[in-house]
Amino acid sequence: MRNYLLKKKAFLMIATLMIISMATANAQGREVSGTILDATLKDPLPGVTVLIKGTTRGTTTDLDGQFRLNVQPGDETLVISFVGFTPQELPIGNQSVFNVELEEDIMSLQESVVIGYGTQDKKEITSAVASVGSEQFNRGNFTNPTQLLQGKVAGLSVTRPGGNPNSQPTVRLRGISSFGATQSPLIVLDGVIGASIDAVDPNDIETFDVLKDASAAAIYGTRGAAGVILITTKRGSSRKGVSNVTINSFGSADVATNLIPILSPEQFVERGGVDYGSKTDWRDEILQTAYNGTVNASVTGGFENTSYLASVNYRNNDGIIKGTNRETLNTRFNMNHGALNNRLRMNLSLSYTDTEAQDVNSEAVRYATVFNPTAPIRESGEEAERNFGGYFQRPLFDFYNPVALINQQKFTTEVRAALYSYRVEYDISDKITVASQFSQDKLTVLSTQFFSRQDFQTGFGRSGQAGQNMFDRTQSIWNGTIRFEDEIFDRMNFTFLLGGETQTFAERGMNASTARFLFDLGPNNLGAGGLRFGPGTGMDSFASRAVLNSFFGRANFNYSNTYFLSASLRAETYSGFGRDNQTGYFPAVSAGADFTQIFDMGIFSQFKPRASFGIVGQLPPSPTLALGIFGNGNRIPLNPDDPIGSVFVGPRRLSNPNPQLQWETTQEFTVGLDYGLFNGRVTGQMDYYQRNISDLIFNVTVGRGFPSAVEPGRPYTADNVWANVASLSSAGFEFLATVNDVKLGPVSWSPTLNFTIYKRTRISDLGAGSLSIGEIRQGVPGSPGQNDNPMIWNREGERIGDFYGPRLLGLTDGGEYILSGETPGEFERLGSALPTGDFGFSNTFVYGNWDLNFLLRGSWGHLIYNSFRGFYENADGASLTWNSVLTKNTPTAPLVTSTPSFSDLYLERGDFARLDNLQIGYNIPTGSASINNLRVYGGVQNLFTITQFSGVDPEVRWQDGDNPLAPGIERRNTYFLPRIWTMGLTLTFK
Amino acid sequence: MLRSIKSLCVGGLVALTMGSCWELEQDVLSGITQEQLDANVTPELIEVLKQSAYSAVVGNWGGHGGLYSAIEVSSDELSIPQKGADWEDGGIWLRAHRHAWINTDGPYNGAWQYAFGVVAEANLLIIQFPDLEELVAELKVLRALGYLWLIDNFGNVPIVVETDVAPNPPTNSRAEVFAFIESSILENADLLTRNNTRTNLNYWTAHMILAKLYLNAEVYIGQPRWAEAKAALDVIINEGPYSLAPNFFANFANSNSNSPENMFTLPYDANNAGGFNIHQMTFHYSTQQTFELQEQPWNGYAALEEFYNSYEDGDVRKNSLREGPQFRSDGVTPIIDASAEAGDPDGPEINFTPNINELAPNAFRQAGTRVNKFEIPLGSGPNLNNDFPIFRFADVLLMRAEASWRLGETAEALSFVNQVRERANVAPLTSIDADVLLAERGREMFAEGHRRSDLIRFGRFNDAWWEKSPSEPFRNLFPVPEAQLLANPNLTQNPGY
Repeated sequence: MRNYLLKKKAFLMIATLMIISMATANAQGREVSGTILDATLKDPLPGVTVLIKGTTRGTTTDLDGQFRLNVQPGDETLVISFVGFTPQELPIGNQSVFNVELEEDIMSLQESVVIGYGTQDKKEITSAVASVGSEQFNRGNFTNPTQLLQGKVAGLSVTRPGGNPNSQPTVRLRGISSFGATQSPLIVLDGVIGASIDAVDPNDIETFDVLKDASAAAIYGTRGAAGVILITTKRGSSRKGVSNVTINSFGSADVATNLIPILSPEQFVERGGVDYGSKTDWRDEILQTAYNGTVNASVTGGFENTSYLASVNYRNNDGIIKGTNRETLNTRFNMNHGALNNRLRMNLSLSYTDTEAQDVNSEAVRYATVFNPTAPIRESGEEAERNFGGYFQRPLFDFYNPVALINQQKFTTEVRAALYSYRVEYDISDKITVASQFSQDKLTVLSTQFFSRQDFQTGFGRSGQAGQNMFDRTQSIWNGTIRFEDEIFDRMNFTFLLGGETQTFAERGMNASTARFLFDLGPNNLGAGGLRFGPGTGMDSFASRAVLNSFFGRANFNYSNTYFLSASLRAETYSGFGRDNQTGYFPAVSAGADFTQIFDMGIFSQFKPRASFGIVGQLPPSPTLALGIFGNGNRIPLNPDDPIGSVFVGPRRLSNPNPQLQWETTQEFTVGLDYGLFNGRVTGQMDYYQRNISDLIFNVTVGRGFPSAVEPGRPYTADNVWANVASLSSAGFEFLATVNDVKLGPVSWSPTLNFTIYKRTRISDLGAGSLSIGEIRQGVPGSPGQNDNPMIWNREGERIGDFYGPRLLGLTDGGEYILSGETPGEFERLGSALPTGDFGFSNTFVYGNWDLNFLLRGSWGHLIYNSFRGFYENADGASLTWNSVLTKNTPTAPLVTSTPSFSDLYLERGDFARLDNLQIGYNIPTGSASINNLRVYGGVQNLFTITQFSGVDPEVRWQDGDNPLAPGIERRNTYFLPRIWTMGLTLTFK
Repeated sequence: MLRSIKSLCVGGLVALTMGSCWELEQDVLSGITQEQLDANVTPELIEVLKQSAYSAVVGNWGGHGGLYSAIEVSSDELSIPQKGADWEDGGIWLRAHRHAWINTDGPYNGAWQYAFGVVAEANLLIIQFPDLEELVAELKVLRALGYLWLIDNFGNVPIVVETDVAPNPPTNSRAEVFAFIESSILENADLLTRNNTRTNLNYWTAHMILAKLYLNAEVYIGQPRWAEAKAALDVIINEGPYSLAPNFFANFANSNSNSPENMFTLPYDANNAGGFNIHQMTFHYSTQQTFELQEQPWNGYAALEEFYNSYEDGDVRKNSLREGPQFRSDGVTPIIDASAEAGDPDGPEINFTPNINELAPNAFRQAGTRVNKFEIPLGSGPNLNNDFPIFRFADVLLMRAEASWRLGETAEALSFVNQVRERANVAPLTSIDADVLLAERGREMFAEGHRRSDLIRFGRFNDAWWEKSPSEPFRNLFPVPEAQLLANPNLTQNPGY
């Protein structure tokens, strides 16, 4: 590792020396000069590159757009180029003054796609890559950047069931990709691999480029298996002296929708419920209309050879449940500077985000729905006052006053995300560019928990409990690349990239909690808690560090803008793999041809079939899993009469060592078509992929003390081993079509439709060698009474995420279940928790200064277990204690009277279409010279949902908590769903 | 210049293909490595590791869902009635009581893992310190204890010792397991201390394992070994340091570590060694108010009426079951269950009646007497401090009585039984038969995890009782759990399953 760094230092030094030597090179000849102007604004353009074709000699324009340049005898052509403008070539001849106007080239900006360690012309792309620019983003109040992409990219599923402002979306590309390792796509933020998504505010994002298939993601090696999302932030314009200030501010009102219908107090008592004599709408008590505000302000500009963006983003979001809040302040500074005639380019990106979140116990949702509606919120009496802080509580099983719960338990999280990135690029010649980037991504999470002395749920007489957690993560990346670009022979363009990279991951943290307080002191004085160990208390700390070294290369060939070929290879060595398998190789190859360049394709303006194959990996979830380290076991008092003074903590192996532990391997084959019709009026792409994931990492339960199958000749020394044990296979079809600018009278309409059809993921293999794991049954409904019947059975040869259980054949006259089976041996497959398809239908309408955008999106083919129905709709004994739900799917003639147990009665089709977001905007003509743009807008999110599902949210549940092997369960703590109304204003001025 | 670029490229390509020569050392910053352990072998570490091995025995015995639950709920002393939604749990507890269990039901896998966990801890420590003779001997006896539970509950199981290296060991017959336990004790008992170690095995408790093995030999291998059982018990009675505690309940008190009667206990501790939750498992939710418990009990385990009735009035042991109206900690304020079932004749004031209206699906929440054997201090949390007696001297006396009775020595049998009855404040027996002996064992050993084994030995496990129909003899063994069969293809399922 250290040697490797030294090598790279030497490499950078050589590059620097070369820069100096070339900068000082000079030659004889005559001088030419000129002025370059923006053709539209007639403003001078500084920083424009003026180059003598076929040489490395050139200059850039100054502040006034002027340049001077020595030309040699034999120099024939000047090439004048500037990012964002159409380049021009001018014969030199005998001319000595060149006044040129450059036309802005918007298309060239849009057509460039970020592909990892560089960009590529969209027409050359031969793997499945989707780009989404800011004009296509979802519009509304979104706190997480990935929500901007929801429903926009075929194959990319962004879900966030419920509406807690603090819950992060689940992002899945092409479905399930792992059992035990991460399944979220790798985030690459301005070249910083694995950056925290917290480090960027949605408002600062220019584009997303989604590398969907393994051939595109293979350049990211062992972290690309779940796909890659490349985020590019906004940059300043390098126009001279032009600065723009943009202020965007909106307010929103969030209102709870779609509450599950429950019995009124009267109906509850009529069904036999215990009457406490009061009437309380518990949901009304914990819900609020949340008024939220967001302000984004940014300054962009440029002077000399420098451009910058400075932005500040403030977001304050209350949740619709009282006591939930998220407040974020983000600051970003991006600066680009070109020196040595813009051949040396430097970039600096700094961002800092501070997020403070307050949350409540999510079970408040459950209790607010089913707590006795005849109970009062508070009751008087010395006992209630002393024990419960005046709240109404009864010592019944699983019966807690929801208002007390949200007031007597407090949870806070503060996230501080800082990202520093420095990049330098130098054009050694017009064919060769070297670059190096160093970045550091720091994340600090401070969280606290507090339970009042009178909180009934933590335990009677526990006298309060409080805790703090600190977590700190630093990721550092240093890479160097060299890029070579040339026309190696006639019409054959060739781009070659070679690079090396070293990345370190360091984490540490500590947790402490104590209990038994004399006063409610909050979480900040843990020393006041009398109990330091035992239930609800404890102290521990941890740290880890891992290193990932990589070399990579990529070659792109473009023959005559017709035939395209790309090949890449990445080699990676990770300290956290088993010592027998430390280095992996991840190759990819893709090719395509634009047939419209070969034949007359009639209406087609582009018809580019392509095929690609790649191998990518996925890292284990923690770097020490291969080693089988020991953690802390039981507290062992050596002298039983002195349990405090003689205690030691016994070491206990956390998992068995596995020297073979390696990356998960994804092999993916994609065939696709990029097409354009009617001169680009209709554009789009289609992809069919087949994916095989092998060596899935899973924490396998083994027989401690039994001979090991992983380390032959030794016994298992822990109950589990992290091993590569399973294989998955899946396939899918993705479709995208955009129609640009359809004229409907004076209205222009631009619709975009994308959809994905998944062939559901199958478990092709479970177990490896003599390490067999049988089938994995997960996802029990829960307490009361349904703790031992997992609903999701993952079996070899079958689909992942299938519900198994009895079918409801009917009801007796008395409302008792008639089930198809009683024991697991008689259960049958009831259907899949995972979708067969997703779609997103985006629309833009423009009429004069008015515009309207909306997104209709949905998923189909997935079943959801409706937990509220599964526990609280039967008119059984439990309905005396808890309120009952009465949904459109609840059987009422007769009501079910059996004790609730899982069957297909409680599985509902999750198919839905939702008007996800809609915005109407008006650009006010101001006529002011200093105001570029003034826009007012209003919108709504979650306007309506069409679905048969009767729970809170029919959104696909890819996982249950963190468990990907129990999808499709809507838990009883699912946060209520808000409808969000927004109103805002954008102002841009000079 | 181009040459230097070329050489860089070539260098890079070489690096790409030679990547495998990089070796990255993975730092361990907060875990403990094997190397650290090996470099720090101190007497304290050895002792801590040994007690850690014992803590595997402690960990899962006294909780819900494992071996203890499997043993108790399948017997005629305890059941877990289904109260509406509560305790439905996929029917596993009803199947457990009705002897209709299937091999995917959780408690049997829990039981298997628990017992093999004891075997594993012993094996691992033997591998680590093969030269410490006394330690190895004690660990082999500990392993034999694990196998005693295995032979009793699963019968045919793989014998795994420290020298085995082949993955997926095959099933051994019950007779082989019997011989293995027997030889483990015979070869090692003499190396064990004769001190009263209480929480560790010793010479005396090694003989208790042997006595249990011989007493059940007819069940395990089809050949009675009563005389050997008697001999092993005589070693404990005649030479050992144990005696009956004058107060029966002192053996189960919150601080019971000095009881002269408890021979081998699991040293539960509310803070250091949690996992003993009998009060949570058995009591009504509202019993929280009686003991000012930190957490609500789960209202699960309740005694059968017939079992409750086997105690005569005046038997101090009858208080092992909690019966009658329930009060708050002040002892006078009745506890009200506002959501008591409409049909419950006892009304909203909580009253633990011996009668349970039905096992399922709608047992009254307050029906059934509860396990009250273990002292519960006011304000207890979910984990109790009481050390759980695995072997107790009263058991030795009753086993000794049984051995004599089986050998036809009735007078001697009576003398041992009556020692136990005297302490319980009940009249001495004058005659003895199988039913009397079994009932006496039931009253004395209630809720200590012996009933299933006793019922099988007395041929009564397959009888019908309360809501249980007669069961097939193959139910005398639990099935090899599905999860184990899947994980180890060389295992053989027990006959009948």
